[in-house]
Amino acid sequence: MRLIVANCSVQYQGRLGARLSPSIRLIVLKADGSIAIHSDAKAFKPLNWMNPPCTIIERDGAIRADTPKGESLVIELHEVLSDTKFEFGIDPGLEKDGVEAELQELLAARVSALREDYELLKREYYTDIGPVDLLCKDGEGRTVVVEIKRVGEIAGVEQLIRYQERLDLDSRFAPTVGVFVAQRFKPQAKVFATSKGIACIEVDLAQLRGEVQHNTLF
Amino acid sequence: MKFRCERDTLVEALGTAQRAVASRTGAPPVLFDVRITATNDGLELLGSDLEITNRVTAPADVERTGVAVLPKILGDVVRKLEAGPITLEVNDDEAIVSSGGFSTTLRLKAVDEYPRLQTSDGAGAKVDAQLFAGALRQVVKAASKDELRPPLTGVLIANRPDGQGIRMVATDSYRLAMRDLEGVSMLGDATKVLVAAKGLAEVQRLAGDGEIEVVLGERDAVFRTKKAEVTVRLIDADFPNYEQLIPKDYPNRLVVDKSAFRDAVERVVVVGQGRDNANVKLQMTSTSGLDLSVTLQDVGTSSGHIDAKYEGADLTIAFNPQFLLEGIDAVDADEIALDTLDHLKPATLRSANGGDFMYLLMPVRTS
Repeated sequence: MRLIVANCSVQYQGRLGARLSPSIRLIVLKADGSIAIHSDAKAFKPLNWMNPPCTIIERDGAIRADTPKGESLVIELHEVLSDTKFEFGIDPGLEKDGVEAELQELLAARVSALREDYELLKREYYTDIGPVDLLCKDGEGRTVVVEIKRVGEIAGVEQLIRYQERLDLDSRFAPTVGVFVAQRFKPQAKVFATSKGIACIEVDLAQLRGEVQHNTLF
Repeated sequence: MKFRCERDTLVEALGTAQRAVASRTGAPPVLFDVRITATNDGLELLGSDLEITNRVTAPADVERTGVAVLPKILGDVVRKLEAGPITLEVNDDEAIVSSGGFSTTLRLKAVDEYPRLQTSDGAGAKVDAQLFAGALRQVVKAASKDELRPPLTGVLIANRPDGQGIRMVATDSYRLAMRDLEGVSMLGDATKVLVAAKGLAEVQRLAGDGEIEVVLGERDAVFRTKKAEVTVRLIDADFPNYEQLIPKDYPNRLVVDKSAFRDAVERVVVVGQGRDNANVKLQMTSTSGLDLSVTLQDVGTSSGHIDAKYEGADLTIAFNPQFLLEGIDAVDADEIALDTLDHLKPATLRSANGGDFMYLLMPVRTS
C-alpha cells in the first residue's frame, strides 16, 4: 500500500473526459494494482480511480495508469507532501456477525456444497461498490459471483446483479454467472432471480456445520 | 395408412405409449415420437427410450394398413378434439388428423429411422397382477434415481433363499425395501435379475387385474398385462449384498397404529417445510408411548404425542421424514412395528404381525 499526499492535477480520458484542477489530495496505490484519488471529503468515494488490470508508470513527476480498454489516468504531482509505503500482508477478510458470516465461512471452506464443480477464487472479493461474498469458478471456467444472505429477498438479488454488472466490465471475469444463496427464499425473490438468470441455492446451516449427517446403509 | 378410432381409446393408448418415449436431451429425435402400426386387427402403438418400451394395442376401423412415426404432439391434438370417432390418414410425409369440422396436419419422420426393437418373446411365467403390483408399490420407491449408481436404480428379483417363491429388493442406500412373494415363480433358469425400477413403476401402473405374463431374456424382461406390454432393460451390475445389512434381532420394539403414526408424522413435519435437515425425532419410552418432534432453527418446533406400545430401553432416534412416511405407507397393516437397535443403527418397519415385507431405514445423526 502506497499513500501519497500531494498537490496534484488529474486528467482522465476514456468513456468520457474529466479533469481535476490542482489541489491537495490523497493518492492511494494498492497492491492489487488499483489507484484512487481522494479529496478530504466524499467519505469513502474517490474523486477518480482506476481498477486493475492497469499499467501504472511513474515518470517525470507524473503517475500514469492505462487500462487495456484504452482508458488513461494521468496524475501530475506538483508538490509531494508525503509518500509512504506499507506492507499489509494477507487480509483476513471482513468479519460479519451472525448467520451470514458463518454461512460465508462454511461455504468458502467447501464451495462444492453449492455445486460440485465450483472452485473458490476469493472470499470477500472487493469491488469498488462493495465486497462480493464468494468469487468462484465453475467447471466450464466461468466466473461465479455468489451472494449469501440469511433470507433471500429481492434486495439481495439486486445487490448481486450490481456486483455482476461491475465484474462484467472486467475482461478477466466477464461474462459472470450469478448465484444467490440463502437459508430460505422469499418467493418473489426466487421469481425475480430466475428471470435474471440467477440460480437460487438453499443451504442448511446445520448440515454445513456437520451437525446433521445422512448415514447410509452401506 | 388410414384408420378411424374413438377419441378416448386413442387418447388412452397414446398416453401409455408416450410415457415410455425419450425425455432427456441427447436422445435420437425419433425416440421422442410414437410409432403406430395399423393392421387389419387394429392398431399397435409403441413408445420407447430404449430402456423402457411400452407397446399397446387399440381397436380401430382400419381402411388402409401401414406404419408411421407420429410426433408426441399427436396426443395433445387428439385430446383437444371432441369425443367421438377420429380419422387419421397418412400420406407420404404428413399425417392428417380430423374430427368433425377440425383437422390438423403433422409432419412425420421417416419410419426407417425408428430403431428395430428386439424384445424377448415366447411364453412366460404367469403372476397374479394385483399381487405383483402390490409388491411393486411397496418396493419400487426405495430404488435410487441416481443414474451414477446403476445397481441401485434397479429392483432385484431373486429366488428366495428357501426356494419357496421370489424376493424383490430395492435400496437407495438410505433405506431398503424387501418383499417376499411366496409360491411365485418367474425366474425360469435364472436365480436373480436386476430390473430397472423406472420400468417396473410402469408395470405397476399398467398391471390391472388378471395375470401378468413375465418373459425374461438375456437383456430385458417383458411384462404382458391386459392393458399393454412393457419391456424393461435388465441392469448388468451387482446388487449390494443386502442380507448382511438386516439385523438378526432387535432389543426394542414400538407397536403403533399405522394411520395415527402417519398422521402424527405429517403434522409435525409441516414446520420442516421439506428442508433436508427437518428430521423427525421419535422419543420412545415404555411409560409414555411415542413423542414426535421436528425443529427447524429459523422456523420453529412442532411436537406431538400418540399412544403406542413400547418395549425396550428409552430411545430417541431421528429419521428423514419422507423416507419414514414412504416406509409407513409401504407396510400393509393396521398396526406397524418399528424395531430398533440404537439411535445410529438401521431400524425396521414392518407389520406388527410379521408378514412378508420389511423396510430397513437408516437413522439420521443429529447433534
